Amino acid sequence: MTTTDDEPRGQVAVAMPGAPAARGWRPDPLGVLLLVVVVALVPVAVTTDRFLTLDNARAILAATAFVGITAVGATLVMIAGSAVSMAASQTATVVAMVFLSTQDLGLSVALLLSLLCGIAITAVQGVVIGYWEANPIVLTIAAGFAIGGTATWLSGGTTVYAEDDAYDVLNSTVLGLPVAVYVLLVVALVAEWVLRRTTPGRQMFLVGENRGAARAAGLPVGRVIGVAWAFFGLCIAITGVFLASFNTSATVSLGGTLTLDAIAAVLVGGTAITGGRGSALRTLGGAVLISVIANLLLIRGYSTGAQILVKGVLVLVVVVLVHLRSTRGHR
Amino acid sequence: MIRTRTLRAAALAGALGLTLSLAACGGSDGSGKASGGDGSGPEGKTIAFVGYGNESPWGAAYNKTFTAALKDSGVKINDLTSMDAGTQIQNFNQAVSQKPDLIVALVLDTQAAVVPIQKAKQAGVPVLLVDGRPDPSVEKDVMAVVSDNPKLGEYAAQNIIEGLKAQGRDSGNVIVLMGTKSMLVTQDRMEGFDKVMATAPEYKVIEEQDTNWDPTLSGKVAQQLFAKHGCDGVQAAYGMADYMALPIVQAAKQAGCKVGGDDGLVVTGGNCFKAGIDSIRAGELYGTATEDPITIAKQSADYIERYFSGKNPPQSELVPEERVTAANLDELADQCSQA
Repeated sequence: MTTTDDEPRGQVAVAMPGAPAARGWRPDPLGVLLLVVVVALVPVAVTTDRFLTLDNARAILAATAFVGITAVGATLVMIAGSAVSMAASQTATVVAMVFLSTQDLGLSVALLLSLLCGIAITAVQGVVIGYWEANPIVLTIAAGFAIGGTATWLSGGTTVYAEDDAYDVLNSTVLGLPVAVYVLLVVALVAEWVLRRTTPGRQMFLVGENRGAARAAGLPVGRVIGVAWAFFGLCIAITGVFLASFNTSATVSLGGTLTLDAIAAVLVGGTAITGGRGSALRTLGGAVLISVIANLLLIRGYSTGAQILVKGVLVLVVVVLVHLRSTRGHR
Repeated sequence: MIRTRTLRAAALAGALGLTLSLAACGGSDGSGKASGGDGSGPEGKTIAFVGYGNESPWGAAYNKTFTAALKDSGVKINDLTSMDAGTQIQNFNQAVSQKPDLIVALVLDTQAAVVPIQKAKQAGVPVLLVDGRPDPSVEKDVMAVVSDNPKLGEYAAQNIIEGLKAQGRDSGNVIVLMGTKSMLVTQDRMEGFDKVMATAPEYKVIEEQDTNWDPTLSGKVAQQLFAKHGCDGVQAAYGMADYMALPIVQAAKQAGCKVGGDDGLVVTGGNCFKAGIDSIRAGELYGTATEDPITIAKQSADYIERYFSGKNPPQSELVPEERVTAANLDELADQCSQA
């Protein structure tokens, strides 16, 4: 949901997401920052050997896929005002374990069970947040411990392997790009369509903008938030399935830094952490931008530590700018 | 009053002296043998076990085997395992204050463990370090059963050189995805790896990236390195653990690079796992090396029994490691398939 810059926070705006502000154009600090970053990247990219190649473009997209899929799902949750989930890594890990351990039932059944598992785990958290207004960060930190602990307990910490390698089809490439990249594009387009063209999607903006006002207006706040989290769970589950296939086995630490990487991509895409504003396609752009920067640093010989540092600084600057834009807009 | 103070001071000095004497008795006696076990056997002894957590498959397999191996000996094991480096140091400090008969530690942060080891020495609690070697500053203060990490690095280099020579290549580029660079385990392996690679200067290491023992990050970095150098620009790769080497294999395949065979990418791993063994069988992974949790768990349990029985085992013991390739796969498959 986009509000005009002078609109008080307590009012529910009626402008469509992405609609131009009513009081004329003013430069958006976030847009300016991203423009500066992109412009600054151009000479670096041009002077970096083998950066501007088709192979490298494919590598960037492939490196974006896993985090991007989860980040797109997280966008809906953040737009609906639930800030972030701290349990994405653990959920993806559990899904990966379910996917590999059920391969003997056939690929389709394993896939279905895995997706249902991801949706169920995450939707439950969404329902608690939506209906009982639990603090999403506190709840998901607790959920992360519970999910990770359960996974460790049930697996005994041992690596989970598949009885059958039918899952390998998910590692295949089409036109030189891994299947996961196409899935990322589809998921991003579907999420954007849900946000812009469906009633639950539009309601996510309204709920995220002002939950109290949305409730007063008779919107099904709990259900809307639950739907956003269920979609997020689907995205995490898809990521978990691809992670399992790529690594051919699953350990408790498989999810790695997925949680924070996904949050970084959503924030760099300009989605407001306070809710009510954002876009799945912009999150896709944020995920790609982070991958481009990481790739540039890697090719130029910087360590992974430098990549993490730059990512952190970029996220920090974007969050500050988004915050400034929000507070200026609501003054 | 003065008399009371004098008595207190004398008692304090006595306690201090006793503590220092106990500290001197614990751990090594400087003769290269571990001393301090009273020779009465393990029955009734208490061990504070500051190991890796079960979240790590290696840790889980080690913990299970280690506990089972000591089960019948009558040793009581106080579980203080964790995969969080900070929590582990807290647990180590807690273990010192519990004054067990022995602290068995597999530390994640060698440097951070220096202070708790010094505290243990002061408190007269002997410490057995397992897996990674201790920081040099406290090397003489602990007993150790350590993996032969330089040898594991050497084996990885041997796998690569052998694989490239078998393909008839007289030159080749190698990429390395290593575990956390600040860890001594990683540094020791790289030392062994570099030493052997130096004997084959026709093969050049063109990239060394720290992927923090993270399989997902390893896959991501590998994807980008294959794009940077192209399939023709990389002939071999070393992933420091099998779960880091297998994502390299997937990344290479997705980049359209041939893996294994007469002219494909030669990939080697380490810390052998079942998935690595399966990959060697499939002809994708050229080889790996042991450092399997089962062998080291059994050896450390045996060390403890010898220590408590007064057999004075050497202060530091190396766990023998094995190179694993298709040639000896059947002999080592079982040993490598426990985690």
